[in-house]
Amino acid sequence: MSTTTPDPNVTLPTAGPAMSDPAMPGSAMAGPAMPGSAMAGPAIPGSAMAGPLMREAPPFVTAALRVFDLSLSQMLWSRRTIFLGLVVGSPVALGLMLRILDAFGFTGSIRMGGAPVPGAAVFGSMIWLLYLRFLVPVLGVFYGTSLIADEVDDKTVTYLFVRPISRSAVLVGKYLAYVVTTVFVVLPSVVVLYLCVQPLGHGSLAEGFMSLLIDLGLLGLGLAAYGALFAMIGAGVKRPLVAGLVFAFGWEQLAMALPGYLRKFTIAYYLQALVPHSMPADGLGSALQALFRDVPSPTTSLSAIFAMIVIFLAIAAWMVEKREYVLEQ
Amino acid sequence: MTGKTRYFLVGSALVFFVGLSIGLVAYYGGVPQGLFAASPGPAELKFVPADAAIVAYANVKQVMSSDLRQRLRQFGGPTDEGRNEIKTATGIDIENDIEYVVAFMDKRQADAAANNTNGLVLARGQFDQGRLEAFAREKGATVEDYKGKRLIKPGVNDAEQVSSHERGLAVAFLGSGLVAIGGDAVIRRVIDGSAASAKTARDNPEMMKLIADQRDASFWAVGHFDAISSQAKLPQEVTDRIPPITWFSASGHVNGGVQVMVKAETKSDEAASNLRDIVRGFVALAKMQAGNRPEAQALWPSVEMGGTGKTVSLSFGVTTQLIDVMTPKKRDSGGAPKPAAPKKPESSEKSAK
Repeated sequence: MSTTTPDPNVTLPTAGPAMSDPAMPGSAMAGPAMPGSAMAGPAIPGSAMAGPLMREAPPFVTAALRVFDLSLSQMLWSRRTIFLGLVVGSPVALGLMLRILDAFGFTGSIRMGGAPVPGAAVFGSMIWLLYLRFLVPVLGVFYGTSLIADEVDDKTVTYLFVRPISRSAVLVGKYLAYVVTTVFVVLPSVVVLYLCVQPLGHGSLAEGFMSLLIDLGLLGLGLAAYGALFAMIGAGVKRPLVAGLVFAFGWEQLAMALPGYLRKFTIAYYLQALVPHSMPADGLGSALQALFRDVPSPTTSLSAIFAMIVIFLAIAAWMVEKREYVLEQ
Repeated sequence: MTGKTRYFLVGSALVFFVGLSIGLVAYYGGVPQGLFAASPGPAELKFVPADAAIVAYANVKQVMSSDLRQRLRQFGGPTDEGRNEIKTATGIDIENDIEYVVAFMDKRQADAAANNTNGLVLARGQFDQGRLEAFAREKGATVEDYKGKRLIKPGVNDAEQVSSHERGLAVAFLGSGLVAIGGDAVIRRVIDGSAASAKTARDNPEMMKLIADQRDASFWAVGHFDAISSQAKLPQEVTDRIPPITWFSASGHVNGGVQVMVKAETKSDEAASNLRDIVRGFVALAKMQAGNRPEAQALWPSVEMGGTGKTVSLSFGVTTQLIDVMTPKKRDSGGAPKPAAPKKPESSEKSAK
């Protein structure tokens, strides 16, 4: 994610006319290192910020919303969104294929143990295996880790941090843009999948509606939680993508399969406790999980997820505020 | 926010809310079956009245060509007598002309005139209407038009035709490749209902739920249990002891043998529990009877009882081996042709595996 091509319709609060120029000649912020908050301290000599035109910094929420506004379009129309479209489109394509097969009479094609599987079970399995255990962590890793890391890699973080807003507002604004982008892509795809798959095997839309609502809420929470976690990793680790992938597909899978308390240090543990569908038996892994299963109550799970979102975001914001980003030449 | 982004967000929200609204409407009011799913059961259900007492289906082609039928024929089971009778009476060859049949018993007609034919068989297949009409005329039948459908009524030339006439039997061509055989009054009611877009079995959610469960079955029947009990004329002592059953269904899948599943829905969980006890007793009794013949007893474990809540189900499989075991006398008596060495088709072997 880069800020090199800011939206012309969006004007971030600036300290003066010169701030609207991304090149910012003469600014002290153009250097490779940016210790602390760029805006702290007295007026920078030679900078356009010094002078009577200096405006008062906007409140945190306003600043975050402006960054959100700027970042949303950039995030939505980035190359990463092509990846997001492919990843989210594949279950929908699968659902449409099943629906077409059903329409042409290949209705008994989905079978488990010789018996036809109803659409509700297929939909539940897709939510479990495709969305919660794969798509949501993947989207969290790819978008969450890039919130700050991309700006650093592209050396455009300077232009954000020299604005008269707190760095944490930048992070929160970008995080909100991530949540909106992913939620607006993932949730409609789940609804389309529900319409395609739920009626298979003579299932009823009515029967699965309440589960769908829970699924939608759960996916939104999952995206927010994974996004917050990976935003924190992105803010504090030099190679955040690798660290994120290791966490999502190494640590989480391992901890969930092992007995004991380790699973409590995963997000999946709390998300899976809220899933309305029964866990599909997808091999030895799920058999082991079922054997050592201890499910937290919905209240505990919800509290844990909300707490994680707040804590991870707070740590990420603190890291962004304190960390000295060195732009490699 | 750019215009492109705004359009995307609006479009995405639109998809989301339209989908949710459909789900919400389905949740509170119900979405017409078939809007998002292929309607369960054969298309001919549109001719079955919503208040039909029993609806049944049989995949004639599958049953006729099954290994089970060939095996039963070898042991003197089904003969060609009935098939020839129908061919003589109607000109329809069941084995070659009919693909599948849907039958139903009309509750209203049954109540109105107990002696009249209150059922109807809808046969889907390949029929030469002109040939069949000519055949009927040759037999002295009358052919008339009823609301655009051709209706054949038997003549009164011989005793058989007189009997059919008295029972009110008729044959009608309801569409291309669809013939209705049954009570004259029922056929007329079906034609009337079809013309007036009256409610059909598809509008009966309880019945459609049961029909939807019969997917892939070679034959099935679903209906109100009281329709069976009243037709069966069971003794009062028996009916008093049967727990109150509302709906029943029976289905079978024919391959090398036949796999049958019978389900009953009772009025309460307690009634279902009682029914399970009764069925358990019968199964135990049958096992005891089979105890005299160890070779048959070995095949009994395929009887399974299940069901939760108000549902009681019983499934059992009759394998070709069991048929072999159960019919040795017939084989030895020499009354029927001796069976050739069992030869299973590849498909049945695969499915058995």
